[in-house]
Amino acid sequence: MATSTVIGRASFIRGRVSGDGDLEIAGRVEGDIAVGGEVVIDTSGLIAANISASRIVVRGAVKGDLVAGEALVIEAGARVVGDLRAPRIAIAPGGLVRGHVQTGTAGAARPRAAAAPARAVVPEVKARPVVAPPPPRAALPAVKAAPPPPPPPVKTVAAPAPKVAPKPAVVAARPGPPAPVVPVLKKGTKAVQKKRG
Amino acid sequence: MASTVIGAGITIEGEVTSDEDVVVQGTVRGKLVAKDAVSIEHGGAVEADISGGPVAVAGTVTGNINSTDRVDLQNGAKVIGNVKATRITIADGAQFKGNVDMDV
Repeated sequence: MATSTVIGRASFIRGRVSGDGDLEIAGRVEGDIAVGGEVVIDTSGLIAANISASRIVVRGAVKGDLVAGEALVIEAGARVVGDLRAPRIAIAPGGLVRGHVQTGTAGAARPRAAAAPARAVVPEVKARPVVAPPPPRAALPAVKAAPPPPPPPVKTVAAPAPKVAPKPAVVAARPGPPAPVVPVLKKGTKAVQKKRG
Repeated sequence: MASTVIGAGITIEGEVTSDEDVVVQGTVRGKLVAKDAVSIEHGGAVEADISGGPVAVAGTVTGNINSTDRVDLQNGAKVIGNVKATRITIADGAQFKGNVDMDV
């Protein structure tokens, strides 16, 4: 159908969206989406719904199962938590997916189950190493890297320690120095007094 | 261009909330809340209470309309429900059954 539906970025729909026609979502939708045409989730789109359409393109965030009659495209920057099912599924580098991926239509997929899941697993596995592992690995080295730095900090701590130490020393010396100073003065003064005397 | 359009052939059952303009060419059942203009175009059907800024109706509305601005019932409109607004126009050819409440 020529008419298309647009959910603007400042709009929020809670409930069921159904019918024929294309759907472009830049806002938020909670509930269910079942349309006959193409559904495009824009970068600002935030969906908490199961989506069923002939074609689904995701650039935003979706939490729910996606079922497409023709094709399903997860583009870079998209985040999907849910199962994907379509005859053709594309996950672009940079697209995040967490869920089961199955190519092939629902009815035809079962006989081909051996082939379809194999294909499905590959993109899923590809997607996970590309996106998910790097952060933990990067995080671990960071954690590992953190311990080494402490030694230098220790040095730096040791360095400032003297700086800090003098202060306490000064603080501690306040009672101390007067003692030596006084005798020195006393000695000097006594000697001077004696000489003068 | 309006920011949110419910196209012909699309049905929304539930609540539609928007901070921008809403144009309804399809069907909305439930509740329709907009901060800005609401337009029910010819062929559009709303079975819901509507609240928003200026509301223009050329389609069918079953429910109360509550506007902070004006309500225009255009030719071809069919409205069953109460209308509350500061200004109201009812065009020749519009069908309307309900109460009108204007701040007097």
